[in-house]
Amino acid sequence: MTQYLVTVLTEGAIFGIMALGLNVIWGWSGDFDLAYYGYVALGAYMTLALTIGRHPAPERYILGLQLPYLVAIVLAVASAMLLALVIGLIALRHLRGIYFSIVTLGGVYVLYAMVGQFVPLFNGYQGLAGLINPMGDALGIDFNSYQYFFLGFAIGVLLLVYLFLSRVSSSRFGLALRSLREDERAAAAFGRDIYRLKLKAYLLGAGIGGLAGALFAAYLTAFNTSAWTPLETVVLYAAILVGGRGNIRGVVLGVLIVFVLIEESTRFLPDIPGHPNVVLQLRPIVIGAALILFLRFRPQGLLPERRYVDPIQPKTAQGPAT
Amino acid sequence: MHQALLILGFGLVTAAILSLSAVAFTLEYAVTNVANLAHGEILTVGAYAALIVHARTGNAVAAALAAALAGGLIALAMHTAVVDRFIRRGTPTLVIFIATLGLSFVIQNVLSIIFGAANVAYTIPSGAPRQLGPFLWTTLDIEIIASALAITAGLYLIISHTKFGKALRAVSQNRDLARVSGINADIVASATWFLAGLVAGYAGFILAESVGTFNPSFGFTFFLITLTAAVAGGLGRAFSTMVGAVIVGIALEFFGGYVSAGYNLAFAFGILALVILIRPRGLFVNARRSIFE
Repeated sequence: MTQYLVTVLTEGAIFGIMALGLNVIWGWSGDFDLAYYGYVALGAYMTLALTIGRHPAPERYILGLQLPYLVAIVLAVASAMLLALVIGLIALRHLRGIYFSIVTLGGVYVLYAMVGQFVPLFNGYQGLAGLINPMGDALGIDFNSYQYFFLGFAIGVLLLVYLFLSRVSSSRFGLALRSLREDERAAAAFGRDIYRLKLKAYLLGAGIGGLAGALFAAYLTAFNTSAWTPLETVVLYAAILVGGRGNIRGVVLGVLIVFVLIEESTRFLPDIPGHPNVVLQLRPIVIGAALILFLRFRPQGLLPERRYVDPIQPKTAQGPAT
Repeated sequence: MHQALLILGFGLVTAAILSLSAVAFTLEYAVTNVANLAHGEILTVGAYAALIVHARTGNAVAAALAAALAGGLIALAMHTAVVDRFIRRGTPTLVIFIATLGLSFVIQNVLSIIFGAANVAYTIPSGAPRQLGPFLWTTLDIEIIASALAITAGLYLIISHTKFGKALRAVSQNRDLARVSGINADIVASATWFLAGLVAGYAGFILAESVGTFNPSFGFTFFLITLTAAVAGGLGRAFSTMVGAVIVGIALEFFGGYVSAGYNLAFAFGILALVILIRPRGLFVNARRSIFE
């Protein structure tokens, strides 16, 4: 049971980091980005390519270095941001709404096809494997207690990301992003450089996605095309929407509900005789349905985002006309 | 030269399937302004319906009709149960777009519960390849192309020569204006989705026939190419969408034939990204406005 709890919490923490990153792009900046899971995947692939070293002949992949895990994390984040820069430069310039989404969907499918088909990149459909207990040896942690250490590490990173984003949330940058989301033209009229701001937010979100990917790679010890599909993003969107789009506390709550409650607690439901996996397969259906129902009946989520009201503004507006 | 003609022949088969799928997608968009991300699932449902009916009756025509009917019903259900409910509340189109993504996710997973996630084979004898003019086509290929042409002609008649078609065009140009002119926009939209579903369900059937196997995510993969064709032609414009589909279909086969079939999807999206960036209103519209919605 402890064993199981540790797994759920570790996965939950990684999933939380992913959702927080996507919240920057969709919750604050307001762009419905379908490429997001590509950044997570790229982060995971890069982490593996940078740490596992060279494997013998049939396996082919780029880099093949044996860098320390922490260095690999930094480089994985950087490469996710680089990819986001390429996609963002194209997609954010003129495109909004569904056209932005369509181009990002295209971007992630190109990535998916490349990773699978172009073997010299990340070993094709076989993917990469062999990242076992990073940092464990250096810190002298034995095999049995490693999982607790990694759980602590994942939660620690989640906390750091959370604290960082809660500062960003109330910063001028965070407020400016929301102003774009609410009314782009008005924000432009007030002198905001829309393209730059949106691009910055996109890079920030993608970087956090890459970070989550780096942790995911260490947790899974391997990564290949069957470990992710671009549609995985739906689950993240459901979590953000259920919790409260734009509100990072809400996003964490959404992750708890969607991931821990729906994904994990269903594991303990009794099986329907004759249909061994039905309960397991019902999860994505429940998640998809939750996405639709929340969009329809409670689009602000369970913990709605606080509206920022300028305390001085109402007084000036109601002041005596001179 | 010979190889080029051969590839052109394949391209026309792909284009025929693609144009049906794309015109259905664009009709859905025309009357509701919603890009339906669950459009691919209409094709998938059609393919499974055809498989079941074919196994029961052994009759390909019955299978084709079943595919169309199943497609029409699922499209009507999507419209009534989800899309229309959002539209009635005046929800922004982007939100409805997200909801259709959820819908796609739900339908794919329901299908994989019922039929399993693995590929199922759907092979019917395609006949020996025959020389027809410059092209080398099997009987199946000829049937696909002929039926696509017939359906296109039918759609053309419906859209431009019937009262319903007139109402459809009115709703697609301006829903509110159509409504104040006495058109029941809700019924027109539902009927259009049903019609689009019939066409898309049938497209799912011929796609399954020509590919030979499929699984619950089969329609979604094809949807990505459909989207390219629809955007290239101009979203919401039925006949230029078909022209876009023919161009994209042929371009894809040439790319597959001369470069590599594995990157087909990537190539399709290369086209899509270029079209969206350079001519966002479609290849055949002379406007350089950027999309700001």
